[in-house]
Amino acid sequence: MTAFIIRRLLWTIPVLLLVIFLTFVLMRQIEGNPFRRTDRAVPAAVQRNLERKFNLDEPWYVQYALYVKGVFTFDLGPSLVLRDRTVNEIIKEHFPKSLELGVLAFVWAILIGIPMGVIAALRQNSAYDYGLMFITNVGYAIPNFLVATLLIYYVSLKLGLLPTNGWQTWEHKILPSFALALAPMAYFARLVRGSMLETLQQDYIRTAKAKGLRWRRVVTVHALRNSLIPAVTAMAPLLGFIITGTFVIEVIFSIPGIGRYFITAVTSRDYSVVMGITVLTSVVIVLANMVVDILYGILDPRTRDART
Amino acid sequence: MLSRKPRLSAVLLALVMGLLVVGCGGGDEGGDTGGGAAAADQTLKWGLGSEFVLDPGLATDTTSAKLVLNIFDPLVKLGDNLEAVPSMAESWDVNGPNVVYHLRSGATWSNGDPVTAEDYEYAWKRALDPELASDYSYQLYGIKGAVEYNECESNCNALRDKVAVNATDDQTLEVTLTSAQPWFIQQSAHSVFLPVHKATVEQFGERWTRPENIVTNGPFNVEAAQPSASITLVKNPDWRDAANVKLERVEGRIIVDGTTAVQSFEAGEVDVLDEQLPPAETPRLKETPEYELYPGLGTSYYGFNVKDNIKDINQRRAMSLAIDRQSIIDNITQANEKPANAFTPEGMPGREDIVAGEGSPWTPASGDLEQAKELMAQAKNPKTKITIYSNESSPNKEVAEALQSMWKQIGIDSTIKILEWQQFLEFLGPPPPKAVDIFRLGWVGDFVDDINFLELWTCDSGNNNTGYCDKEYDSLVAKAKQTADNTERYAIYKQLEEKLTGQDGFLPFIPLWYITYPNLERETVKETFEINLLDQVDLTKVEIKEA
Amino acid sequence: MTVPADPRDAVATGTAAPDVVAGAGAHAGAPMAQSNLWRDAWRRYLQNRAAVIAGAVFVAFVAFCVIWPIVSPYDIESDPVNFSEAYESPSLQHPLGTDKLGKDLLTKLALGGRISIAIGIGATLAILLIGVVYGSIAGFAGGRLDNIQMRLLDALYGLPYLPFAIIVLAIIGTNSLWTMVIALSIASWFTAARIVRGQIITLKENDYVRAAKAIGARWYRVLTRHLLPNTLGVLIIAIFLELPGVILGEAFLSFIGLGISPPEASLGSMAQEGREVYRVHPNVIAIPSIAIAMLVLCANFIADGLRDALDPRTRETKDYGAPQG
Repeated sequence: MTAFIIRRLLWTIPVLLLVIFLTFVLMRQIEGNPFRRTDRAVPAAVQRNLERKFNLDEPWYVQYALYVKGVFTFDLGPSLVLRDRTVNEIIKEHFPKSLELGVLAFVWAILIGIPMGVIAALRQNSAYDYGLMFITNVGYAIPNFLVATLLIYYVSLKLGLLPTNGWQTWEHKILPSFALALAPMAYFARLVRGSMLETLQQDYIRTAKAKGLRWRRVVTVHALRNSLIPAVTAMAPLLGFIITGTFVIEVIFSIPGIGRYFITAVTSRDYSVVMGITVLTSVVIVLANMVVDILYGILDPRTRDART
Repeated sequence: MLSRKPRLSAVLLALVMGLLVVGCGGGDEGGDTGGGAAAADQTLKWGLGSEFVLDPGLATDTTSAKLVLNIFDPLVKLGDNLEAVPSMAESWDVNGPNVVYHLRSGATWSNGDPVTAEDYEYAWKRALDPELASDYSYQLYGIKGAVEYNECESNCNALRDKVAVNATDDQTLEVTLTSAQPWFIQQSAHSVFLPVHKATVEQFGERWTRPENIVTNGPFNVEAAQPSASITLVKNPDWRDAANVKLERVEGRIIVDGTTAVQSFEAGEVDVLDEQLPPAETPRLKETPEYELYPGLGTSYYGFNVKDNIKDINQRRAMSLAIDRQSIIDNITQANEKPANAFTPEGMPGREDIVAGEGSPWTPASGDLEQAKELMAQAKNPKTKITIYSNESSPNKEVAEALQSMWKQIGIDSTIKILEWQQFLEFLGPPPPKAVDIFRLGWVGDFVDDINFLELWTCDSGNNNTGYCDKEYDSLVAKAKQTADNTERYAIYKQLEEKLTGQDGFLPFIPLWYITYPNLERETVKETFEINLLDQVDLTKVEIKEA
Repeated sequence: MTVPADPRDAVATGTAAPDVVAGAGAHAGAPMAQSNLWRDAWRRYLQNRAAVIAGAVFVAFVAFCVIWPIVSPYDIESDPVNFSEAYESPSLQHPLGTDKLGKDLLTKLALGGRISIAIGIGATLAILLIGVVYGSIAGFAGGRLDNIQMRLLDALYGLPYLPFAIIVLAIIGTNSLWTMVIALSIASWFTAARIVRGQIITLKENDYVRAAKAIGARWYRVLTRHLLPNTLGVLIIAIFLELPGVILGEAFLSFIGLGISPPEASLGSMAQEGREVYRVHPNVIAIPSIAIAMLVLCANFIADGLRDALDPRTRETKDYGAPQG
């Protein structure tokens, strides 16, 4: 088991290097001037000064080397656009908010999605099944910027229940996390439904019923636990999605998170912020994958060595 | 025995019902600021449109400019007619290229240190420091020695001392310009000319603008600031004119998305926005009493690539005549812009002299299709298949589509290419690539003199993406820069404007309209909250009235 | 996925085999009735009402998108901009109303639908193509190559998807159908590759494959005639599972402003434009959003139906699940 964990940990390093390299190459391909804010061109001398200040006039391999060194010393450099801030500060300030948003969304998704999937599975092909699946899917199918806008309109503006935007109190956090949760919720519901259905076919379930065990016990003790395994596997990429997919929600609800920063950084060519956030999210995803792999290994010993 | 499944769904159902009941029971809050205790509570809730940077040397966007101009004290401010009004400087003397500011005495920084002319000298030289690489350093290029210092690559300290800004004593700041520039005093109302506290900057480096470190000398102090989220300003009781400042508190919240900003305003969470209105919402919002429209000092235009592509002047004129500007303004941009009849925008001092009579004959507000068709017919080898370049933000896309349709009527087939903003800018050069026939751009004034606009079209201007180059034009611009007398200078401006958009003008671009700043302001604040032509807000004039 | 009795039939038959369920009422003396995988699957599919409805709706919408612009009296691209007809409510002349420039929304919907579906299918096929190629090489080759490929995949999994799509789009610049397809597929093919590889590995060990290899069939023959067709079912399901993600991804990119450039419009770009006027003209955003939602929902139900149909292990659990006590 330990060997397994260590192996997985060691793999994160080349993965990270690859990610940094890819992002670096890609960002350099995009045309654009990080120092140009408006229609107005930057005077040539100022442009030179800026490029010198941020090492952009060095050959690309020098920049790359400097950057990699920075990553491993945890210094992600200054922001090219928000000049009184460093990328480290930006991440420290904003990542926790996205994380919180993501985790809350996750909680919603689990709390609502899983029971929905279970119910749907137990009443396969009935009105409950179709109805529940339809409802969760609708939340997922309508583009989330529309759902978010409508939520604000009805819940905040019309009903006055919750604030329209911001991230200060717990009331601010309900709508955005719910809006973000709709897609994973639907995903969990259908996943749990599917695996629940499969599990219920299994012989040991039939055996349990034949033995005269109460249905409720059969479902919770046997079926549920085993059908949740695929859900656990799904959590890692889902967590990754949630963290990178927070952008729309963050923009619409004015949440000072990292997702919003990322898109703005790409659009304004803030190379260091883009690199910094990409490295960060990759680390998160890789770690999340690793945790899930380990969890999976614990839950299902058959998979400890297999790779599928 | 009942399974627990039905109970689960019952619980969910109950929850949903519960929420609905609570919702319907609660009242509809509407747009009140909560109780009408407005006059007693002088707190302004401001929905800001973008991130802010509190360092005057690094503030480039208009939101940051609005904030720094209220937490620091400039030497001069702009009055209602854009004339220079004393602020920290109580008077000034102008003698050709020599300018002397006389500062007030007795003013202090928020940490007690006295405000002196050295603070301004330090700040201005800092803005020119190549290390700081300030985006607005070019605003100071009118000062002797400034350009050299800013462009310096090594041994810069020597050049720094040569920049002709000197605090000869605590209350006197002497500036020597490269030539007589009558607009310089007004130009120094810009945020880049604000003072900074030297000791603080040197002690904390980049972190000096953190709320716990920052030292300011303006009418408001920074109480708290959360990057990307909010900022709280409180009235500075020690400010030199604090007695006349009515606002006690400003709570700024960053709301970038326009639709959300409007929703927030309507829910009563903020009282004033920062111009983030989505253009598409304007027709609806125009009808509300909270809508306010301010003219801006800027011109939106479509530039031709005259070097390689649209070379025939008749075609250019025809394309300009074919545009029904008023219709586009009424139906697409919808912010009551004024159709442009020259490059110089309205509100520019001297405009009555610069733009003769009706302005350009080639820019009738509703277009002139007949004449356009005639001119197209006269054009030799017109380019009838063209590509329009624009960026993606609304309403530029729709404007391009409207123009495409209008030009079709004079026989021109256009393809629209939308580029993402940064790529768009890079793409245009200068010089513009061969692929570009016509592109959309705009120019917003930095200071209130027309040279700021007219010098755009010189041969080597970094902002001239048309390829237009006329030696005579350049020499006239150079001459204007040396002409101190306003009347004489405006006469030269008139010639320049003629060369661009006049009857025999070259028309390297098509001026479309002059920009406006639409905003939403609650009625309790509407009277006193003003945005001037340069998109600045003076919070010392704001007072919240009784609801 | 079940292995058909005679592997050769799986590839060649389709409709050639007699339409009889195996073992049910075979004619005396006739060769043993073969179960036809596809017929069985089709029957099972038809039993799922939701999937059938979804399938019908999906096909109908695609047909509408393809046919309507041809017969429509309006030509979105060359009709002049007509402000006096902007934002009209639905009427006989314009069944869904008009947009900001006076263009008919029904026709625009069809055109937008075309583009979105094209992007959706294009990206999905690209995903599957890359996935199949990558996965089959890995699965089939096994050993060292497989290991390297899987490690690489692990690394690529670590890349945050949407940021990369955005960066790719930013590099390419102007956005047309093809650039959207590239951007949307470039970071989404990993799961498909994994699935294909998994399938191939499982099937590789099957007797009939070993038999084929034993009689000396070449590797590409084994691959194409045996392994891939058996993964076909899984792939079809995968298409309908990926489709929603791509369509919604396209909507997301439009929201940021990296959507398709005018005068072409996709459902996503229409929705984004309509968002700003949702208060006064809700139909402009409602229509494309409903279209997107419908496509996504249909794809999901079809995928469910297909999966239930092609994998007979997932039979109805009515006899097992009913909570009677």
